[in-house]
Amino acid sequence: MRAVLLLALNSWVENLRNRFFGLVLAFAGTVLYLSMLLGLLASDQEVRVLLDFGLGFIELMGLVGAVYGASTVVLREMESKTVYMILTRPVERSSYLLGRYLGLMLSVGGAMLIMAGAHVFMLVLKGWAFRPDYCWAFLGAFLKVLVTGSLALFLALSTTSALSALSITMIIWSLGHFLPEIRLMVRRFGSDSTLLMAPLQAVSWVIPDLQLFNLRDRLDLPAGLAQCVPVGSWLVYAAGYCCVWLVLSSALFKRKEF
Amino acid sequence: MPDPNGPSASDGGAVLRFRDVTKTYVSSHLGRTRTVRGVSELDFEVRRGEVFGLLGLNGSGKTTTFKLALGLLSPTQGEVSVLGLRPRDPRALAGLGFLPELPWFPGFMTPQEILRFYGGLSGLPDAEIPGRVARVIERVGLGAAAGRRIAEFSKGMVQRVGLAQAILHDPALVVLDEPVSGLDPLAIKDFRDLLVELNAKGKTILVSSHSISELEKLCHRVGILKDGRLARVLQAQDWSGGLEERFIETVRPAGGAA
Repeated sequence: MRAVLLLALNSWVENLRNRFFGLVLAFAGTVLYLSMLLGLLASDQEVRVLLDFGLGFIELMGLVGAVYGASTVVLREMESKTVYMILTRPVERSSYLLGRYLGLMLSVGGAMLIMAGAHVFMLVLKGWAFRPDYCWAFLGAFLKVLVTGSLALFLALSTTSALSALSITMIIWSLGHFLPEIRLMVRRFGSDSTLLMAPLQAVSWVIPDLQLFNLRDRLDLPAGLAQCVPVGSWLVYAAGYCCVWLVLSSALFKRKEF
Repeated sequence: MPDPNGPSASDGGAVLRFRDVTKTYVSSHLGRTRTVRGVSELDFEVRRGEVFGLLGLNGSGKTTTFKLALGLLSPTQGEVSVLGLRPRDPRALAGLGFLPELPWFPGFMTPQEILRFYGGLSGLPDAEIPGRVARVIERVGLGAAAGRRIAEFSKGMVQRVGLAQAILHDPALVVLDEPVSGLDPLAIKDFRDLLVELNAKGKTILVSSHSISELEKLCHRVGILKDGRLARVLQAQDWSGGLEERFIETVRPAGGAA
């Protein structure tokens, strides 16, 4: 556990002091600021547009950071030989992987939090009254990032290149938002054509249901939506999914030769 | 200059042992499987307290041999043991220090921060780490630069940080991959002195280098690898100032240029 914490903290500090991290935050701040122009195009729905665009953008930035980071972490550390200096110490390979994953997610979560702070500040300037639903929408977006990041880590260890891991993750991420529709198709047509539906059935079990965490779409519902948010099941679902991918990643990493 | 006779097997046995070790790399592309022999039937040991050098042309199997000793690769055939244990056993790893060729450290970190991180990963108790870090920094000659950022360091200074992380936890066996690669003559001399001092304090050292003269000055025994096989093991008295000639006559194909 000590090694996991040390590695997570090390990753977090490295990311925080990385110039690239600062650039991403500056870029995000600029885009969020420019989004105010978008709001002007829909004057009657200005706050709504700002809310939607901002949350979507924060999620996208978090996703890009998590997926890119998870897909390349082992590769980058192999190139810099850091991984050799770590794995030739009494550190379990699963601890290495978990530590790096947690450090990455801590960094991405921190960056998303900073962006959300800036976003809320701009919304309040535009006259928006803060609602707790925003926090749940943010949590949902972060859980999506956590789940997708763990999947990217697994794919990076099971495919031959970071590019293929990135591409497959993004495809699964897209499908994850259509899972309810895929499940509906399986239910409707499953009995008619079992052969055709079997792969879809399998897909519906493997792909994470990211639509589950999508509270953004429901933010225009009356205030107090927070009471309807199944946070407990969200957390259990996300933790379960992450655990499965991380255990599978560890199994692959234990067999990996350098 | 080491004792030309060096320590004998009776001085306490082998710290590192290769028994009939073969490593074959298997890769497949578009359905075609290709196998490449990394090393073949390696059979040698590194005795407690000696400096053992590995010499060979590019592609002769030096890196594969190192990675097998460090548990980063598993042998296809045969057995490797470090301190009488499997190389990936945490107890074996606790007794091992490794300096990769041209190690990399984040530029914004100081040697103190880096060594605290690696000290924690080596399993050193928290209370012991600051004292050890301070001592090892002095030992590798970085006392005056302990609080400076790595980005301000020369290649030779970075190499000293690399050596410091390898010896921080007081390992019985220190493995050095091309430790003087890219260093200027003065840095090479300083580095050599450090290694001689380490060996005098009882450390067993396994070192690879393209610099024949360095191995000549440093090693008790030198193994020459040719096409993945250990072609020859020489004792210091066997070369008596002419290691280069012994090396060339071993690796040069009969009647041709090397």
